[in-house]
Amino acid sequence: MQDKKFMRETLKEGAEAFQSGKLSRRSFLTLCAMAGVATSAVMVGDAEAAAKQIVMWNWGGQSEECHGNAIGQPFTEQTGMPLRFDTSGPLQGKIKEMVDSGNVTADVCDADLFDAVALGPSGHLEAIDYNVVDKAKSLPQYTLEYGVSIILYGYAFVYDTEVFGDNPPTSWADFFDIAKYPGKRSLYKWANGSLEAALMADGVDKDALYPLDMERALAKIKSIKDDSLYWGSGSAAHSMVVNGEVSMGMVWQNRGRNIENDTDGRYKLVMNQALAMPGAYIVPKGNPAGRDMVMKFISIAQEPAAQLELLNCLGMTPSNPEVFADIPEDQQPYAIASALNIDKIAFSDPEWWGENSGDAVNAFLEAIS
Amino acid sequence: MTNVLRKYVSPGWLLVAPFLALVVLLYLGPILNILWLSVTEPQPGLQNFEKLVTSDTIARIIWTTVRICVVTTAFSVMLGYCIAYAMVHAHQKQQHLMLTLLLVSFWISILVRTFSWLMLLGRNGLVNNGLEAIGVIAEPIAFMRNELGVLIGMVHYMVPYAVLPMLVNMQTLDTRVMSASRNLGASGQQTFFRIYLPMTKPGVVAAALLVFILSLGFYVTPAVLGGGKVLMVAEYISVQLLVTLKWGTAAMLASLMLFGVLAMLYLMSKFMKLSTVFGGSTS
Repeated sequence: MQDKKFMRETLKEGAEAFQSGKLSRRSFLTLCAMAGVATSAVMVGDAEAAAKQIVMWNWGGQSEECHGNAIGQPFTEQTGMPLRFDTSGPLQGKIKEMVDSGNVTADVCDADLFDAVALGPSGHLEAIDYNVVDKAKSLPQYTLEYGVSIILYGYAFVYDTEVFGDNPPTSWADFFDIAKYPGKRSLYKWANGSLEAALMADGVDKDALYPLDMERALAKIKSIKDDSLYWGSGSAAHSMVVNGEVSMGMVWQNRGRNIENDTDGRYKLVMNQALAMPGAYIVPKGNPAGRDMVMKFISIAQEPAAQLELLNCLGMTPSNPEVFADIPEDQQPYAIASALNIDKIAFSDPEWWGENSGDAVNAFLEAIS
Repeated sequence: MTNVLRKYVSPGWLLVAPFLALVVLLYLGPILNILWLSVTEPQPGLQNFEKLVTSDTIARIIWTTVRICVVTTAFSVMLGYCIAYAMVHAHQKQQHLMLTLLLVSFWISILVRTFSWLMLLGRNGLVNNGLEAIGVIAEPIAFMRNELGVLIGMVHYMVPYAVLPMLVNMQTLDTRVMSASRNLGASGQQTFFRIYLPMTKPGVVAAALLVFILSLGFYVTPAVLGGGKVLMVAEYISVQLLVTLKWGTAAMLASLMLFGVLAMLYLMSKFMKLSTVFGGSTS
């Protein structure tokens, strides 16, 4: 990381010296060759430009368009810096690798808040600057030292109304009750959400989930093992439901909205006992645009206009409590934080997940495989 | 000094030396790094390798992987042998057509092939719906999202890999030997089992090795067609790297795969000349 920065500065100085005639062409080319850089890259100032944009590392899909409109536009208007995307998915291991190798190319990661707990104390993340980012504009339990929740997403389930139309399932207990509601189920493959759902199905109160009772949760998961499938991506969850592979499927709540729309209501989303997940912005240590610029960017994402635009475009629920009351009527059934749902849902605990996710995921994989 | 160098090192080596050094650097470097990680993460010691005997999960995952790879190899080589045999004995024109078809299937992306199997054999796939419509079955057959699904997907992917080495081997056989065998009174069956099959052994072994080693690293097909319940080593390694941050475990499993493959090659070399497998002369 230091080496890279040093190299960039050396090259910049070299380029300036060359342009002002202090350095011969041959020496400059040698310098570039030694640094392993094409001369054209330095001449057009790419190295400098790299620091004049914000790169968001996210999961692709519609999010590029939606984040561009909701946050990118106002950010560019205020700072003149464009928003660019790396859509390869900021998994914990990749963030760790990026920071450890000193080759940090992203400024802000669209990640989970528990990633902030897992990677922050080990020195892989920049701390959030709460002089710029407003603590009051996120739920209090979701403003942590190394990450702040920008949106909420959630785990809920959809069911097939053609199968269960007369006696619709309303809770995770129904979801896990194969005798009463026959058919296959689908759950999230990496434990998150699936464990909480199992515990609620087993009678644990939605506000008393943490610390998760792993043994109890896994026993419940195993009880439907033969009748369950597991998905690792939103599109897999979606297709398992609409292809009729399952009669009930756990989905991300915004996917649930799409499934209802795509199937003209054949599949219906159940938001009771949905698990609210804090989607968060975290900043890799030593990000190219600098810490101040990213904090500015995050503060714009907290603004009500941006929050409502993300809800409208992606179905991601605002995490800024000021905006909860402004959630439009037609989004109320799908939004986690809407007046219609907020008392029925459970809140995920990023602290628990940050500290235990490694063991929890492996225990879960052991139980289902 | 120069003379000594000339005496022991042929000039050919000097020509390839820079490239050899590059390969060593770019190839061995990362491998050594992985081996190093496996004994230093999270603390120095052999605790990662200890998991092989203490962790039921890892033992089970390895067992699942080996089982699936062995079955996949067996089916791929059997099917591939039939195809290669048919190709060698077909007319030139048909042979070209068959080769084209084989290569087309070889080139189609693994994701497309995997999802096609879901369309065909899934719960509401063409086959299940068809069989239900004509009344053969009442309930859809669970072809996919289980180990059977993984096997179907993997064998389909691996058959071309099995065919190509066997095809090359069969094309170089001296067919006069078979004619001689028939001439001396052997039946067709006897000729095949006592003459043809032993002669194609190097091709079969090459195909089996190739398929088995490639199968060990399979990732997409088990993840999709296994419905999340068929966990193989490659996927487990990726989870340990990206999700659970247990890089020591991942490095240990990666080293294990490396040593496994090397040990297999070593054992093989005890029983036969490996150079014949990899296309060298049979002498």
